[in-house]
Amino acid sequence: MTVEQQDCVALDQFPVGMRVLAVDDDQTCLRILESLLHRCQYHVTTTNQAQKALELLRENKNKFDLVISDVDMPDMDGFKLLELVGLEMDLPVIMLSAHSDPKYVMKGVTHGACDYLLKPVRIEELKNIWQHVVRKNRGSNNGDKKDGSGNEGVANSDQNNGRANRKRKDQYNEDEDEERDDNDDPSSQKKPRVVWTVELHKKFVAAVNQLGFEKAMPKKILDLMNVEKLTRENVASHLQKFRLYLKRISGNQQAIMANSDLHFLQMSNGLDGFHHRPIPVGTGQFHGGAAAAGMRPFPPNGILGRLNTPSGMSGVRNLSSSPSSGMFLQNPTDLGKFHHVSSLPLNHIDGGNILQGLPMPLEFDQLQTNNNKSIIAGNSMAFPIFPTQQQSSLPNNNNHLVLEGHPQAPPSAFPGHQINKRLEHWSNAVSSSSSTLPPPGQNSNSLISHQFDASSSSYSIPFCDSTIPLNPALDHTNPRAFYRATDMDSSANVQPGVYYDSLQMRKSGNYGPTTDAMLSSNNPKEGFTVGQQKLQSGFMGGEAGSLDDIVNSTMKQEQSQGDLSEGDLGYGGFSSLRTCI
Amino acid sequence: MQRQVALIKQSLFDQGYLDEQFIELEELQDDANPNFVEEVATLYFKDSARLISNIEQALERGSFDFNRLDNYMHQFKGSSTSIGASKVKTECTMFREYCRVGNAEGCLRTFKQLKKEHATLRKKLEQYFQASK
Repeated sequence: MTVEQQDCVALDQFPVGMRVLAVDDDQTCLRILESLLHRCQYHVTTTNQAQKALELLRENKNKFDLVISDVDMPDMDGFKLLELVGLEMDLPVIMLSAHSDPKYVMKGVTHGACDYLLKPVRIEELKNIWQHVVRKNRGSNNGDKKDGSGNEGVANSDQNNGRANRKRKDQYNEDEDEERDDNDDPSSQKKPRVVWTVELHKKFVAAVNQLGFEKAMPKKILDLMNVEKLTRENVASHLQKFRLYLKRISGNQQAIMANSDLHFLQMSNGLDGFHHRPIPVGTGQFHGGAAAAGMRPFPPNGILGRLNTPSGMSGVRNLSSSPSSGMFLQNPTDLGKFHHVSSLPLNHIDGGNILQGLPMPLEFDQLQTNNNKSIIAGNSMAFPIFPTQQQSSLPNNNNHLVLEGHPQAPPSAFPGHQINKRLEHWSNAVSSSSSTLPPPGQNSNSLISHQFDASSSSYSIPFCDSTIPLNPALDHTNPRAFYRATDMDSSANVQPGVYYDSLQMRKSGNYGPTTDAMLSSNNPKEGFTVGQQKLQSGFMGGEAGSLDDIVNSTMKQEQSQGDLSEGDLGYGGFSSLRTCI
Repeated sequence: MQRQVALIKQSLFDQGYLDEQFIELEELQDDANPNFVEEVATLYFKDSARLISNIEQALERGSFDFNRLDNYMHQFKGSSTSIGASKVKTECTMFREYCRVGNAEGCLRTFKQLKKEHATLRKKLEQYFQASK
């Protein structure tokens, strides 16, 4: 059946024409399988190499509805292929093996296989495999209702649906910001898939972050996300994928660093390219779709150098107040996935929640706006956002930094390494900490205290484990780099933000993950900077007024501390930090 | 000729060389796939010849890497099962069992038997296909 024919026919005759990719290194079995599948009236593509299969799948995500794969293959373990397909393309995968050992079956289940068939395969078993395609679609589209409208097939976000796949494909490639909630074919039982757009993913990550990565449960995430038409199943499957993804990329830092974030969403949404707003997110990967953010890719610069930024920190650009971008967090090594963080436009929600280890000039103005968005760092942890106050303290610097910062950004300034842990820690800390900000008790935190005072919301300042070694690179790098993980929500919902001061990082030791610790540090700047990984959560209230005050007071403080040399840090605000360090 | 074909086939089944799986394969043969069974059989013998030679080399080396042998045999068994080569499959199972317990002698013996069955099946199938043409 030709593809075209298939299209027409498939529309109404699913499962006839369902496109299957069969992978088995054994030629005999493959041939037999192919024949059996043909007998079931599926459209079959075969390959005896897992690598080739992946290529085929990657080259066109909408080309197949289902994958059947052998378990023992010389070039790649079948389970590995299974995992990759699940993560990248989210297609149903059926395992095939001569091993009837329950261990293998279990492994198949845990790796996400839809089914496990024993060889020799019988045609009866193959006749029903289409159910997995339907099931998958229904599951992910659970929240979406079919409106039975227009069946162009385009509307159907279900990429697994072999029907109308051509049209769908085209459409799918268009910017899809929303979840598709319409199903083109009223007669089909499939529900449209949920498309995890950048926006949605951000919410997801924010929710996970809030709950704590380890404690995140689909139901709670769903509640937090508060998105209509999204079901617990959607969230659960996305969470699973996300976790697998994180796990996977944490092993592949190098290669993926640059693109992993984006890839996640890309993969999970089956979209390719960055036609969406490319926002690199630690793990959050925001898929390009974020047109909403209107972010422009931020050109990678020195700072971001490490980050590979296909996605740019466009967020920053959006900031009206200053050109500086949000924080870039990069977790180069640890998660491997952290890669550049897009600037967080404070003003927007989409706000970049990318926290990457890289110190980026903070966009203070943005902060003021209080968009509090959890930053999703590598592990979907939201980074605490520095209180706007703090940020505002560097407004000038910020800009200044922004402009030059990038190239200077210490590439390795990211405590990235442990960002994971940090985030987790941080995340936990955040979740567990009370909403009130602990009094800054000691000196250093005058800034913080100011902030606290000024801020109407309370927030906690979790610190991450200072397991990350200081990055000496920071020394000469842009000292001004700050990381701001997330926008602060103007609401009382304070999200801790990660705030990195490259200088700080460099010089300060590890800071314990407690607010108090930070507060008690002697380094005044510690209050709002994270040595290596200190996470500060500050809540920057939306009040500009208070921010200004804070800034002023901060500045004063800093000045009192030591010489403020603009040149040194790029912003006066930090000079004192330096000295303190 | 037809009768001859039928006879050959019958004997293959009666003697346990082939099992139901072979019948399934035959059912897949149709106008679109007129020589399906023969094609599959050809593929099988090609593949299995390779496997046999690999196993042979591994055994000749003397150092019995049971794991590797088991892997080979697993593959062999898989394809033999798919084609319905019943006796060959049985020998494979036995071989694997010997591997499992580390019985080198048993492996060698079984392998010899396996080769024999394999060769016999091949010949018979060739006859069968010839007669069917």
